[in-house]
Formats: sequence, structure tokens, C-alpha cells
Amino acid sequence: MKIENEDALDNFVICHKCFTLNEETPIKDGSKACCSECGGVLYRYDSKLIDHGLALSITGFIFFVLANLFPLIQIDILGSEQFITIPKTIFSLLDNGFYIVGLICAFLIFIFPLMIFVINMLLFMLLKIGHGEKLTKELLVLLSHITPWSMADIFFISILVALVKLVAFGQIHIGVAFWALMIFVLIDIYITKSIHLSEIWMLRKRILLNEDEK
Amino acid sequence: MIEIDEDKLIRCPVCDAVNIDKGKKNACRRCGSAIYHHRSFSTEKSWAYLITAMIAYIPANLYPMLVTSAFGTKDESTIIGGVVMLWEHGSYPVAVIIFFASIVIPVLKFLILIYLLISVKYPLGKDKKVNKHKLYYMTEVIGPWSMIDVFVVAILAALIHLSNVEILAGTAATAFAISVFFTLLAAHAFDETLIKENR
Repeated sequence: MKIENEDALDNFVICHKCFTLNEETPIKDGSKACCSECGGVLYRYDSKLIDHGLALSITGFIFFVLANLFPLIQIDILGSEQFITIPKTIFSLLDNGFYIVGLICAFLIFIFPLMIFVINMLLFMLLKIGHGEKLTKELLVLLSHITPWSMADIFFISILVALVKLVAFGQIHIGVAFWALMIFVLIDIYITKSIHLSEIWMLRKRILLNEDEK
Repeated sequence: MIEIDEDKLIRCPVCDAVNIDKGKKNACRRCGSAIYHHRSFSTEKSWAYLITAMIAYIPANLYPMLVTSAFGTKDESTIIGGVVMLWEHGSYPVAVIIFFASIVIPVLKFLILIYLLISVKYPLGKDKKVNKHKLYYMTEVIGPWSMIDVFVVAILAALIHLSNVEILAGTAATAFAISVFFTLLAAHAFDETLIKENR
């Protein structure tokens, strides 16, 4: 295989699932390219990626704030009402002496999901105004390190499991934050599935690096 | 023009850029992250995390996960005990979910990682047909789901908090959380390019 220089390697992409080398080909707006070996999605092309990304991350951020402010579940048990919010769940672990679990939970269900959306907002804003070549790089590296550690979706499933276990205890009311969290999780899944980090890298190359050459 | 061997191309684990494998000190041309530094002890870091995780998994199964105290009587249930109880109460789907999340996934992940770590060092001959990249990808996808039980315990403990009826997290919650945490670290520390070299 012969190439001009190292930068020409950007025209190639290695599949996430099976490590097969694929050559990048231009595709239609809104479509996706799949791996020649296993059919896994390699990349997508979206001409309005910045606007879409910005809109999604701001929406997600708003729902995340809502999900943290209001009660998730409320239960009437023996005549008294009890409710939880996401921060309350974490603090209750810490109060009971479960520092390690509390800390791990705080990072997995609060700090990392929040960071991901803040970083996404910053990234797309910077790309939109076309500034911050170094900062976008740092943010993208940070983003790829924390993405596997964000577990808001798993926490949501855990709530469903907990609900089943709680039925025996008393009357359950589902709070506003439950629905907000559901929407947040859906947006989170949509972003991680539809916007690959490598696409943002390519976008950054097109927008920030090419301007310097001009 | 430079001529390169296709087998020498590797993917940066951080930004997915295609890089040329230059040997000992690889730094990604796009994001600058180290692709791997230690050729001499390539699997040891992953082994260390994995063994820690397996040790933590033992108390996670022996100690109670959930302590329910109602009107003076204390009821402690381990992970397996919780699954059995749910099954007997007729909540089959939830019992299956917890069983998969807390027992099948962690054990499966230990086994897959052990297999991968051994097979990249000592090729077993017969395993050439197994797609180890897919196996590794699978462990990365299913891994975090074993946290379900810890989160459920956290929710229950935060919600049921009365003077008469109280649910508390047990020792196993800490052990289990640590176990999952280290399994995830072990999977991340595993160097995927090693699979390619031993194919």
C-alpha cells in the first residue's frame, strides 16, 4: 500500500468491532458507511452536524438539570411519604458510610454524564465559531476517556428494577425527574450512537486546521 | 510517497485515527495520546486489574448485598439470595435481569479477558477462527451493565428510610462496585493491537 504522507491516513478508517481496515468514501448526506467485513457502522455524514450536535447537547443538558432537581420516585409507606432525587441517592450512600460506592456512583451517574454534555456543548460551540484549535483537541481527548464511564442509561434501568422490588412496600408515585431522566437517557444514547468521535475530529480538521493554512 | 504494510496500521484508542505502528514509542499523530509504551510488559497491567477484580468478586458474593430491617427483624440477602427471592415471588424478568447483570456478565467478562490475555501471549493454535476483536468489543459493551445491582441497592437504601422499616446497603455493595470498577479498568488497559500481532 502506498500513500503520500501520514495525513493521507485520514482517508482510512479501522472498524470498531472487528479491526478491519476500510477506505473512506464520500457518502450521501444523512447516510452511513458500514464495515466491509462485519457490517458495523464506520461513520456517518451529516452536513449540519454542528447544529444538530449543539441542539441535542443543550436539550440533553436541560433535561439533566430537570432530572436532578425534581424527585424521581415517591413512595407512601406506613403513612409517611418518602422521595428520592439523584443527588439524594448519592448523599444517602455517603451518609451511611458507603464512601467508595457513593463516590463511584457520584462519578458514574452524575459527574460524568454532566461532563459529557458540557463538553459536547463547548465543542460544538467552538466549532461553530471556528476557534480554539488546542482546546477542542483537549476536550475531544477528555471526552473519549470519560464516555465509557457514563452510566446514566444503566441507572435508568436500575430504577425500573427497583420499582418492581418496591411494589411490595407501598404506593409508588413516579416523579417528574423520572421522565426527564428518560428523555435525557434517550438523547444520550442517540448522541453516542449517531455522532462518533472520529466525525468530530474530521470536522475539527476541516474547520479549524484548514483555516490556518489559508 | 511512503510505502507501508497494511498490517502495520493501528487505531488510536482515544481518537480512532489510523496510525502507522512505529514500535516502542507510538504517539497518535492526531491527538498525541500514547498508543502503547510498554512492549515488554504489555499484558501485566490488565492482569493486575483483572486479578483485583476477581478477588473483590468473592466477598461480593459471600456478604449480604441488601439488609432489610423491618420492625426489629433483620433480613440479609446476598446477590444470589436476592435473585432466588425474586424468582420465588414471581418477578421472573427482574430475577433474570439481576442474574445476568450480577453473575453471568461479570463471570463471562473474567473468562473472556483471561482467554484474551493468555491467547495474545501464548497462541493456542486452535483459536485462530475466533474473532477476538469482536469478543473484546463485546466485553466493552456488556461490562458496565453489571452495575445495575449496585444502583438498585443505592436507590432502595435511599428511598426506604423509616424508623420501623429500613433498607441498608450491605458490605457486598462496596466489594461489587470495586469489582466492576476494576474489570472495566482491566478491559480498558487491554491492548487491542496485541490481538493483531498474534493472528
